[in-house]
Amino acid sequence: MDKRILIIDDASLVRLYYRDALQRAGYSVDEAMNGLEALEKLLVTPADLLLVDINMPKMDGLTFLKSLRRQPMPLAATPAIVVSTEAAPQDVEAARRAGGNFYLVKPLTQDTLTRYVGLCCGIKS
Amino acid sequence: MDDPPPVTTDEFRRLCEFLYRRTGMVFKEDKRYYVERRIRERIRATGSTSFTSYFARLRSDFRGEAEKLVNAFTVNETFFYREDHQLRCLTTDLLAKRIAAKPRGDPLLIWSVPCATGEEPYSIAIWLLEHWPEVDAYDVEIVGSDIDTQVLEVAREGIFGKRALIRLSPELIAKYFVPIDENSWRIIPELRQSVRFSSANLMDTAEMRAHGRFDVIFCRNVLIYFDESSRRIAAENLYENLVPGGYICLGHTESMSRISPLFEVCRFSDAIVYQRPLEGP
Repeated sequence: MDKRILIIDDASLVRLYYRDALQRAGYSVDEAMNGLEALEKLLVTPADLLLVDINMPKMDGLTFLKSLRRQPMPLAATPAIVVSTEAAPQDVEAARRAGGNFYLVKPLTQDTLTRYVGLCCGIKS
Repeated sequence: MDDPPPVTTDEFRRLCEFLYRRTGMVFKEDKRYYVERRIRERIRATGSTSFTSYFARLRSDFRGEAEKLVNAFTVNETFFYREDHQLRCLTTDLLAKRIAAKPRGDPLLIWSVPCATGEEPYSIAIWLLEHWPEVDAYDVEIVGSDIDTQVLEVAREGIFGKRALIRLSPELIAKYFVPIDENSWRIIPELRQSVRFSSANLMDTAEMRAHGRFDVIFCRNVLIYFDESSRRIAAENLYENLVPGGYICLGHTESMSRISPLFEVCRFSDAIVYQRPLEGP
């Protein structure tokens, strides 16, 4: 499997936790600390799937997704899982409107994360 | 250069008095060899001709000598996963209690003070990743502080020898460290980024306040070096550095009940820790 996942989260412990799970499951993983860094990385190297936190400094997850969806194709169509501690219906709806394809609520076990990432990558292929 | 002359009893006392005022650490006659060795080391390192000339240099803090002397006196030997029963207590009991009152996504602050070369704060980070299912649901901030500025530099570098890793399994070492050579390993960048280091003097009330308040403080095996009144000052400072309901873990031979009445004793299955009451002075 040569799927490339980009983890976008400002907390280094969280990035490390997700990266460990995904690498063990055979994915190649890159990381960004906020939306701005993620956009810069994606312009250079595209990803197959994005894991996007909402609350981040510099550029939050929702602003990032809106900006991503305005980019040229195929970058604009990169599937994104929003991963957040916010679980209210209006948060899920806001993420969907911003351009999120899927929504997962933290905390996630490493198994749950890899299972959903697998499903999402499967959907894309 | 010739060896400096032996330190007299009076000189030994003057130096101990200086250290006490500066750090709260107490050295008595039984530690004379330990103290003398370090004084002579500093006399030699500064090129001073006698204790008197060295002491003048120290008192005027010429070229930061006071800090260098304090650095020479702090005990910095530690290792990863030391007293791991307290780490177990952290993830099974303390954090569960702390987050009961916090919405997910909120900051959760953990302070390791003194942190020496960083083994303890990095151990906390590794332990949370390995054992705490909520690790991605809170904004965990781990801070390591020490009075010794040299060890903080080492901590930031994150390079460790074999002895420091002795309690870690080969799997954990492979996961969180990169080998540099046969005898040293460097902690991976994400772990280095997950701990913030700063200097702290437990006796300096104003400086301690500036560090803010934490949910859990690890302050292990340092108060044993203090005398009773310094211990009380340090304990009162630490109390102010805890949020109401926050916990402090001491070394297993230390007891807060003998130091200060401010804290409540909490017995958990893995450790005895002390809590700043939710409502208190």
